[in-house]
Amino acid sequence: MKIIFIISWRNIWRNPGRSLTIIASVAVGLWAGIFVTSLSNGMISQGFETRIQNQVSHIQIHHPEFLRDRNTKFDIPNAAEVFDMLDNKNEVTSYTGRTLVDGMIQTASMTKGTTIYGIDPLREASTTNFDTTIEEGDYFESIDRNPIVVGRKLADKMKLEPRSRLVLTFQDVSGNITAASFRVTGIYKSLNTMMEEQNVYVLQSDLSRLLGKDSVINEIAIITSGLEESTFLAGELKEKLPKLTVREWMEIAPDLMYIHETGSIMLLVIVGVILFALAFGLVNTMLMSVFERTREFGMLMSVGMNKLKVFTMILLETSYLALIGAFIAIWIGLGTIAAFSRTGIDLSAVGGDSMSDFGYDALVYPALDDEFFYQLIFLVIIAAILSAIYPAYKALKLKPAEAVRKE
Amino acid sequence: MKIIRTENLSKIYNSKSLPVQALKDVNLEIEKGEFTAIIGPSGSGKTTLLNMIGGLDKPTEGKIHIGDTEITGLKDSQLIDFRLYNIGFVFQSYNLIPVLTAKENVSFIMLLQKASKKEMEERATELLKQVGMEDKIDVRPSKLSGGQQQRVAVARALATRPQFILADEPTANLDTKSAFNLLDIMANLNREEKITLLFSTHDQRVIERARRVITLVDGQIDKDEHFDR
Repeated sequence: MKIIFIISWRNIWRNPGRSLTIIASVAVGLWAGIFVTSLSNGMISQGFETRIQNQVSHIQIHHPEFLRDRNTKFDIPNAAEVFDMLDNKNEVTSYTGRTLVDGMIQTASMTKGTTIYGIDPLREASTTNFDTTIEEGDYFESIDRNPIVVGRKLADKMKLEPRSRLVLTFQDVSGNITAASFRVTGIYKSLNTMMEEQNVYVLQSDLSRLLGKDSVINEIAIITSGLEESTFLAGELKEKLPKLTVREWMEIAPDLMYIHETGSIMLLVIVGVILFALAFGLVNTMLMSVFERTREFGMLMSVGMNKLKVFTMILLETSYLALIGAFIAIWIGLGTIAAFSRTGIDLSAVGGDSMSDFGYDALVYPALDDEFFYQLIFLVIIAAILSAIYPAYKALKLKPAEAVRKE
Repeated sequence: MKIIRTENLSKIYNSKSLPVQALKDVNLEIEKGEFTAIIGPSGSGKTTLLNMIGGLDKPTEGKIHIGDTEITGLKDSQLIDFRLYNIGFVFQSYNLIPVLTAKENVSFIMLLQKASKKEMEERATELLKQVGMEDKIDVRPSKLSGGQQQRVAVARALATRPQFILADEPTANLDTKSAFNLLDIMANLNREEKITLLFSTHDQRVIERARRVITLVDGQIDKDEHFDR
């Protein structure tokens, strides 16, 4: 069989111009596919990480009733014990407890429904990096009494700026309506504009005081060291905290699971479509090659080369062309990804700003894992096999006696 | 010992639309060691007869025996193997593999027979020497003249130790000097190593060397002459 490999290799260089043209088209087409895929993958991964980090967390713990009725009275009664437990878990990177109240926000000119988050600024910062999202003002530093952080979209809508006053109205744990004046200390910018408009953040101590209870924790959000660790810890917590509802990220946001599971398949579909188009080029090149070598195939079959060997020869030639193109594409693709993975690609110029409405950053860092490239090579081999079938069929249909005499 | 035997061999092309009788009741016997030329005008059936004997085409009627094997009854896949082990082919247009050297062209066919590397090396070198191509063994066909390419093709045909060699107009594309050179080589092989040769030709130079000349006219044997040369 070695000689078939050698003949096939030499055959593709019989017409270097034609072979280089098809290799170049495979390389450019696949490189484009790799680049677009790495951008999409980077965007998906970033969106996934951002939502986990800033919104969903890996695990959330609530009072079971709170998920059905967002009433503040359904708090986690043994929050301090849960915190102690989490402090001793290796899988936990950080966690924070939050107080959640639905209420109204009022300024002199406008009233609006809102979700008030009572947070521990240090813990929240270490869990969600919320402090880094402050665009104007500061993160609970300059205002001593009842500071509040609001989103940019809400601030624009209600004409708020640092040090502006506003009033929050909500029910305390006894069901009484209570209101308090807050002063804006900072304005945050989020990738999720809905969240920017809806959520406001105050100190947990201020909110607990106004609710009429020492410590009210409605939600514990946990960040783990990875997805596997998250699943492991969630299982353990569900067992140890049977009276609380422990949910993992995929239960909290099933769409994230969909993105996580189907993202890589969709990317391969993109590359598959590109390969499908390139396969026509390969078929055309190999058909031309077979027609030009009719006499040679006639001779080979006359002297006793069997059909399997003829097919193998054409398959190898097609595979060489496709794989050389693919390896060039992977090589350039890896270089491109490496170059842009440091600086990122700013898509804001091409409508990237609107991506933030869906929770995606306009600055995308292209990324692909090794598995993608193995799958790509597998797909290229499949495309080469499929592309070889028709030209090989044409060669095998030749009648040796006629083919050897073809002018 | 009879190497080739045909019985009432007939071939009709386009049998449904416009039938053309290419061969009609051809009965032919060729002994081991013969140097036979099949001649005749264009359309007389020379090539058709060679294709049938070479197992490249099947007759409409009749039988062909090569040695002890009745090849008309073989399946296509069996015929491919039969050709590989029993018949050496020399074509008008040489038909060497352009990407292989002279030696690789000769050894390639032995590879199909799964010969050992040592045997291939030795036999390819020996055969190329026999046809006077020992100084061109590592040269590719594009660097060889027509006559040289045809000599490599003869070496290739001999490589598998076939029962006989079929040559279809082997000198048609050669100049006089090259043609005589090739015919000298083939006549020597025939005389000294008892290689059976069956040529189809128009070439008078070949006809003058052959010891048996069969003339085909309208698909039938018109004359069968033996010469003491």
